[in-house]
Amino acid sequence: MVNRTPLYERLNFLWICCYAAVAVLGVRLLQVQVIHNVRYTLAAERNRTQLLRQTAPRGRIYDRNGRLIATNQAAFSMIYMPGKDDDEKYLKGLSADLAPLLGQDPAVLLDTLRTAVREESAIRLAENLTSQRMFKLSELKTIYPGVNLIVEARRYYPFGAFASHLVGYMARMNEKEWKELKGRGYRVDSRVGRAGLEKMFERELRGIDGGIRMEIDAAGRMRRLLEHVPWRAGSNIHITLDANIQKAAEDAIRTSPSRAGAAVVLDPRNGEILALASIPDYDPNQFLLPEGTVKLAKFPEFNLALSGTFEPGSTFKIISGAAMLNENRVLPGDRTFCPGYFELGKHVFRCWQKKGHQYQEWTSGLANSCDVYFYKMGLRVGADLIERYGRIFGLGQRTRIALPGEKSGNMFGPQARRARKAGWHDGDTCNLSIGQGEMLVTPLQMAVVVAAVANRGQMWRPHFVNRIEYSDGRPEYRQKAELLGTIDLKPQTWDLLHAGLLEVVRSGTGVRMQTPGLTIAGKTGTAQNPHGDDHAWFVAYAGKEGEPPTLAVSVLIQQGGHGSEAAGPVARKIIRTAFGIEAPTPAEPESPPAEAEPNIEELRPAQPPARAPSPGRPYVH
Amino acid sequence: MRGRWDWMLLVAMGGLLLIGTLGILSASLGQANYGQVLQRHFLALSIGVGLFLLGVSVNYQVFQDQSKALYGITLLLLVAVLFVGVKLRGQRAWFQLPFFNFQVSEFARVCTVLVLATFLDRRADRIHHLKTFLQAGGLCALVLVLILKEPDFSSCLVFFPMSLAMLFCAGANVAHILAMGLYGSLTLGLPLLWTLLSLRPQWVSSSPTAAFLLSLSTPGKSLLLAAAGIFLVAFFLWKLTHWARAPVHWLIFATTAMVVLGGLGSAEAINHQIKGYQRKRFLAFLAPEIDPQGASYNVNQALVAIGSGGMGGKGIFSGTQSQLGFLPERHTDFIFAVIGEEMGFWGASAVLLLYLMLIWRVVCAARLSRDRYGFLVCAGLAAMYTAYLAINVGMCLGLFPVAGLPLPLVSYGGSSLVINLWTLGIVMNIYSHHYSFA
Repeated sequence: MVNRTPLYERLNFLWICCYAAVAVLGVRLLQVQVIHNVRYTLAAERNRTQLLRQTAPRGRIYDRNGRLIATNQAAFSMIYMPGKDDDEKYLKGLSADLAPLLGQDPAVLLDTLRTAVREESAIRLAENLTSQRMFKLSELKTIYPGVNLIVEARRYYPFGAFASHLVGYMARMNEKEWKELKGRGYRVDSRVGRAGLEKMFERELRGIDGGIRMEIDAAGRMRRLLEHVPWRAGSNIHITLDANIQKAAEDAIRTSPSRAGAAVVLDPRNGEILALASIPDYDPNQFLLPEGTVKLAKFPEFNLALSGTFEPGSTFKIISGAAMLNENRVLPGDRTFCPGYFELGKHVFRCWQKKGHQYQEWTSGLANSCDVYFYKMGLRVGADLIERYGRIFGLGQRTRIALPGEKSGNMFGPQARRARKAGWHDGDTCNLSIGQGEMLVTPLQMAVVVAAVANRGQMWRPHFVNRIEYSDGRPEYRQKAELLGTIDLKPQTWDLLHAGLLEVVRSGTGVRMQTPGLTIAGKTGTAQNPHGDDHAWFVAYAGKEGEPPTLAVSVLIQQGGHGSEAAGPVARKIIRTAFGIEAPTPAEPESPPAEAEPNIEELRPAQPPARAPSPGRPYVH
Repeated sequence: MRGRWDWMLLVAMGGLLLIGTLGILSASLGQANYGQVLQRHFLALSIGVGLFLLGVSVNYQVFQDQSKALYGITLLLLVAVLFVGVKLRGQRAWFQLPFFNFQVSEFARVCTVLVLATFLDRRADRIHHLKTFLQAGGLCALVLVLILKEPDFSSCLVFFPMSLAMLFCAGANVAHILAMGLYGSLTLGLPLLWTLLSLRPQWVSSSPTAAFLLSLSTPGKSLLLAAAGIFLVAFFLWKLTHWARAPVHWLIFATTAMVVLGGLGSAEAINHQIKGYQRKRFLAFLAPEIDPQGASYNVNQALVAIGSGGMGGKGIFSGTQSQLGFLPERHTDFIFAVIGEEMGFWGASAVLLLYLMLIWRVVCAARLSRDRYGFLVCAGLAAMYTAYLAINVGMCLGLFPVAGLPLPLVSYGGSSLVINLWTLGIVMNIYSHHYSFA
């Protein structure tokens, strides 16, 4: 045989190479499996598990009698969990098949699906599905793994369009909100309170979301439930609103000539808001309908009751009267003649009653709302004092109600003029005395004024929250009545004001308000409107006969014409409903909300279940 | 005296088959064709054991005597498969047999070892000659071309280390082997480099060298410049050796330059021929973070599977990555990842150690072989097993681009299992004949 020693050496070299290759693999194996074990274990967990958040039921809103104003309803949502084989073709097929069933644009749907794939997280495709749609969708579920139906609590407003400006509504977050709320447990597709109570008490109402942690396979199908984290329902809010009064107010405004206006009803003893109506309004349920069916067009979000400013008209005579009487410039018995007009230099100021009121004194002047009486007496007392009394009654300032968008209005007078370096004329004083000119007030301000008159000078801060309770009934917050100040007028002044306002209803412009068994005092107002018909005002307070007043009402009908004709009936209906003389209009929703016990039965594992999915904790507590 | 059976080799083989079978049982669980997979695996296992025993009992020198016929059959089969073969996953590489499809390239690979060994044994006295080297290369190239026709790029990868190792062990000129190695690594390395550079535009913009290298990927002025540059450098280096009074023959520089240029040329060709999915595999290997859902999905999932296995593993049938379907090709190419996940570091390193033992025994068989032919066959097979192991496990561990190569004896795959057991039979036969040589 040939000498093969050099060949053996080469073989040894080959063996060393083989050995080195295996050694390199071994070292790498050690590195991956032992040193970086934790990192890869976490990655495997992320692969395997998917957390599906379940929105906690939002806290409910009750009125003062315990009637539900905002609650929750069980609703089916369609979710999509991305799987590894979900390529563009799959997504296109899915979006094309789903779009007609969900009533969405396939392109929009495709975008949503792509987001889910990119973020590797479950996403809601549609909410609040009807049962009819659901059956069709559950068929699709078998074709497309990763598509699932789940039950969630959805906001529901049983009364529909009712106190919507106070209650607010829920909507998806915009970019800015999402950036702010990202870290606070919100999801991209979460809804947040957008106005009113829903916005103010977002934190309290929201509760803590629960979730289902499940094992999924590479196709995104659920294999097994790993954990079910129960949600915690949000806190319930009890508000001071009386649903009957609110409903009566809204219905009355809707049937008024212009079908637009505002009504504020306060308890003069503590400032509780019993009704806060602003028409036109909206149905907050519409924002929760399945997407695509409602176009979020412009909707009447403007709250006339606190953001709408109007001339007070004759309702201001309460304040100018208070100035005259309290400063002793006018005695209640001072008589003056009203021929239907008043001449001041070259100018002629007309009384609303063209044929005149003949001889008028305080009570009759107020009752008939005689403009000439107030021109003359106003000139006697002077514009400075009237302006000061306007400010004392809180005009030109916010009432400090805890709602956004409140306007301060504008108190107008010589002082304000001086600040603007403009002159003041006697003619301005005449206008001021009857509430015309540049002065602007909100219906809420007038409600506070009339409440202060009713309780002899106490200015309560208007509020609408009574208490907030955790979902288990423990108290979270209780609202106290807040006295902002007291208007210090002489007792006789209050007596005279009351007598005059009572006379308005007994024999004057508000005579149609009369209701046996009730003591009603009020003042009509017709505010000139340069843009159209006059705005109609009626402010009133009422109580049972022989008892102190318990109700303060301020009604404004936009472009409604005369106060007594347009605003009066609204106030009348409110008062009669509040005291139970008129039966409340059936305010129940058409169909009572089905608060079905939700479960996650729909979320059955794709494979034969390892164990039965535990039923979801019912959110009906 | 040593016996007829190499028990160590048997232990290594049995261990790998056992771990592999467990891995296949677990990995294919829950797949639609679970029953079929198992049926085929056990069928292949029994045929393989039969072929192993056949290999043990038939004197290996038969293959040396009949090498021409063997080579002829191999070429015939490779040609035939192109016409009557079954097309699976875009490759016309299978013959349809009653129970399973037979992959011809597996058979061709082993036959190449046997034929090449015969050739090198005959040319033992002229082994240093370039002609021998080139002829050996041509012998392999014919088989390679036919396999590439299928087209099966991955299977060809193993041929390079295998034939080079055989040439090396046969005593071929190291310079030739180095030149070949240089050519091969340029051919494969440059496309990789170009892909990397196109992924990192910031390097290209900041470094003129990188920009120049990238511009070489398409034929043009810079390519001519590079060719001229290579010859100039070679010429100056040659002159330099003269000035240093240590003259080196000019032929060496000329060949080196030619080899570099050739490598550049074939790299160019590969860069243009390369298929979309193959480029994606390059991308996934070079920059796994770029497209985690797409190209690098397989590698990432394999790494996650192995890494999450830890020391003890998650238990057979309980690996989340494999059982929930995140791991692709789990009972074939990525079986090592399944083993790593479910049997942990102990299981995975057991595979590596058993492989090391197997290769060691094959090397021992080479050393003990009674003739040069057996020696060369065993050397080639040892290199082949190492190459398979390095490429497959390296791929699972992210050290090598994804190549569709099975892990012999462990992965599911009838043809591979049967043929590899046959090769071990041959090794055992070579081992068993050692004692008659003395």
